[in-house]
Amino acid sequence: MTATYAPARPIWCAGCGHFGVQGAMAHAFAALQIPPHEIVVLAGIGCSGTVQNNLGTYGYHALHGRVLPTAAGVHLANPHLTVVAAGGDGDGYAIGMGHLVHAFRRDLPFVYVVMNNGVYGLTKGQDSPTRHGLSGIGGFDAIDLGLSIPATGFLARGFSRHPAQLQRLMTDAIRYAREAKGFAFIEVLSPCVTYNDTYASWEQAVVDVAHVDDHDPTDRAAAFAVTTGLAAEGKIATGQILLDPDREPRREPVPAAEDLRPAVHASAYAEILDRYRV
Amino acid sequence: MTATGTTRVLTDLDVMVAGQGGDGSLTVANLLGILLGRRGFHLYVARDVASRIKGGHAAALMRGSLVPRGSLGDRIDLLVAFDAEAIEKGGPRLADDGVVIFDASDGPADRQHLPAGARIFEIPFARMAVRDLRRDLFKNSLAFGVAARMLGAPDTEAEEILAQRFSHLRPEVAAANLDALREGFAYADAQGLGEGASPWRLDSADAGDRILISGNEALAFGFLVAGGRFYAGYPITPASEILSWLERRLPQFGGVALQAEDELAAVNLAIGAALAGVRAMTATSGPGLALMQEGISQLGSAEIPVVVVDCQRSGPSTGMPTKPEQSDIGMVVHGGNGDFPRVVLAPGDPTDCFELGVEATNLAHLFQGPVFVLLDQAVSQDSMTVPPFAVDEVEIEPGKVLTAEELAAMGEYRRYAITEDGISPWAVPGTPGGMNLVTGNERNEWGQVSTDPTNRVAMMDKRMRKLETVLPRLPRGRRFGRADAPVGILGIGMQLGVMVEAVELLEADGIAVAGFQPRTLWPLLDETAEFVEARERVYVVEHNAEAQLTHLLASVGIPRERLVPILRYDGIPFRPGELAGRILAEEVGA
Repeated sequence: MTATYAPARPIWCAGCGHFGVQGAMAHAFAALQIPPHEIVVLAGIGCSGTVQNNLGTYGYHALHGRVLPTAAGVHLANPHLTVVAAGGDGDGYAIGMGHLVHAFRRDLPFVYVVMNNGVYGLTKGQDSPTRHGLSGIGGFDAIDLGLSIPATGFLARGFSRHPAQLQRLMTDAIRYAREAKGFAFIEVLSPCVTYNDTYASWEQAVVDVAHVDDHDPTDRAAAFAVTTGLAAEGKIATGQILLDPDREPRREPVPAAEDLRPAVHASAYAEILDRYRV
Repeated sequence: MTATGTTRVLTDLDVMVAGQGGDGSLTVANLLGILLGRRGFHLYVARDVASRIKGGHAAALMRGSLVPRGSLGDRIDLLVAFDAEAIEKGGPRLADDGVVIFDASDGPADRQHLPAGARIFEIPFARMAVRDLRRDLFKNSLAFGVAARMLGAPDTEAEEILAQRFSHLRPEVAAANLDALREGFAYADAQGLGEGASPWRLDSADAGDRILISGNEALAFGFLVAGGRFYAGYPITPASEILSWLERRLPQFGGVALQAEDELAAVNLAIGAALAGVRAMTATSGPGLALMQEGISQLGSAEIPVVVVDCQRSGPSTGMPTKPEQSDIGMVVHGGNGDFPRVVLAPGDPTDCFELGVEATNLAHLFQGPVFVLLDQAVSQDSMTVPPFAVDEVEIEPGKVLTAEELAAMGEYRRYAITEDGISPWAVPGTPGGMNLVTGNERNEWGQVSTDPTNRVAMMDKRMRKLETVLPRLPRGRRFGRADAPVGILGIGMQLGVMVEAVELLEADGIAVAGFQPRTLWPLLDETAEFVEARERVYVVEHNAEAQLTHLLASVGIPRERLVPILRYDGIPFRPGELAGRILAEEVGA
């Protein structure tokens, strides 16, 4: 067995919500029995952007805000890989926001986990776009954004204090992407104990949509009514908010598996050249 | 052009077909190009367009020559003008004995823009086309009829060419075009320009096997043949043809091309594909490259192989999108934060674009870092005839990519292992046993973030060594003119063809000049310094206001006092005679 890097110990503060996220990822990889060499974890910049160091898989530390296009590139190059992109709310909802809309729209089968703590922790506590909550003026709800884009098929929210739910959502998301059904988005409420400790207030606010009578994750409009309805009451919807049950696996090219030798393609290349002959 | 009695035998001529965008100027130029091609002429084709979808002045400029030429000529011999503006724009460049075929539907031509000796045919093409054929666009075939007569082509040949060009059209449309062509003949007859009566005659030669292709197409083709299978780009003039070419071609070879939401996404999509071991490229122009700088620095730091193409246009900022310039030299050579090794290749014609496209694609994998290909609008979008590319000779060089078997035999694998040549063996995701961490942060050999000063220096030095490793294989420049001349001329990209011809013109004026086109712009190779050091003075021809290439040469210790910048930044490429004139003026003063 070839020795490679030893997974790092997390750099996070004791009590950081990100431990729960990492635990859910490790749980899902084990539950789905995915060999570590078939997994690529990409993470953005910030405290959350170190999770890839701790898991023993292939890991990539993306530029700030650019984890989504990078993960899309890995997936498109080799759809046989299990691709998990991760990052914080600053990374995903501020500097990288433009890419989130297009990731929803493009619906490529990989997982994106946003660890939302409402704050820039690593740079010592500046406000993030979700500092003032998920609803109301100044707030931002990525799940509602996802619901507004017709291509989305998997939208979920977890809370790092509720590991059983989070592990289930993470496993479902990775399975959904591995089955090539589409883009799986999970926002995790993941408090920063140092700069924005929201454990208590979020504990009061979260409502698992599984316990909401009107909720049907296969009904986009109903899901939107539930999330916005809860928000109006000062609550935050968690659980499987949207799940399109009718997805067929995508069939995609596998550029990484192509035989590149020019001799193999000689006649096709000659045909292209011929088109330019005078 | 040579004259025999009253007949001029054409061996080298420039044609301009101009009107409003959508007039079909390109169609007429295409038809004339087919005629010239049949006679064994080499072609150089450029477009002059406004940055708008339809309308605005649009011209197709074409040079046909029995000697291959890499630029347009100084004078226009034949001007097909669909409106008054075409006369205004083309007239001043018309040769003294040039010919104008003018669409007089809106009145006669304003002759003040034309030389006194010019011959003009004023024909209401558009009116005739609408009146007799019910469609304005048939004016193109009508104009071609008159132009073909002027060039001394037999009517049957013109008809064949038209049939060939319009073979994809519905039969009744093709037939209507043929009627238009014959109407053109009839008009020419009425003007005393009967079949075989032209004072002009096209010479002919056997030009051999040739292709007519633009630099952007040639570069995209080179990338494909070198195993390129992933492309991401964002539309921008003058790079967009690379995106559309690869969107069409890559899927046929199991590859992927996609249009990103912006240039930030484009370069990071390419990074992602490269991480997974696929040969990846992105292309853009100056404003897009400015947005990509962080990604380029990431390629250098994290050691990721991506080909980055910059099709330069006039800057600064949005500048003049459809006009050529060479003012991104500073950005490609020095852009991106921090220190990292990079290679910049600079093709001068479609052959170079293909060859350097292949080289860049291989080199990126060998070197594990950013390899730039630096074009300019003229190299990117002008088309010219060149010998067919040596597709069969292309080799795929995999670089230090590890297989599962090699990994298993290693016992231990470090992604950023410090090696003598600076290049670390690379396990791509999916390879069992090769799990690793890739990051733009400084890190240790395992890929774990590190700020240890000793490690930092060792890692920086390792990365920089990669440049020395690939140095011997970097493409050498092209030399022309008189090798031993004390006067030199040096330039990149679109200057190549102009310089080669200017050197011939200067030689004819008694000034021997040695020419050099560096094809590797960074790192600057010793051959470039040697070229300058062997001369008393070297004219550095560049399209920018700051003499960026001159400064780059001086920055590596090439004696600045021997360099004489010849600058231009009006958005128009040099013509050979103009360039020779600029140098002649300098030489007279020297």
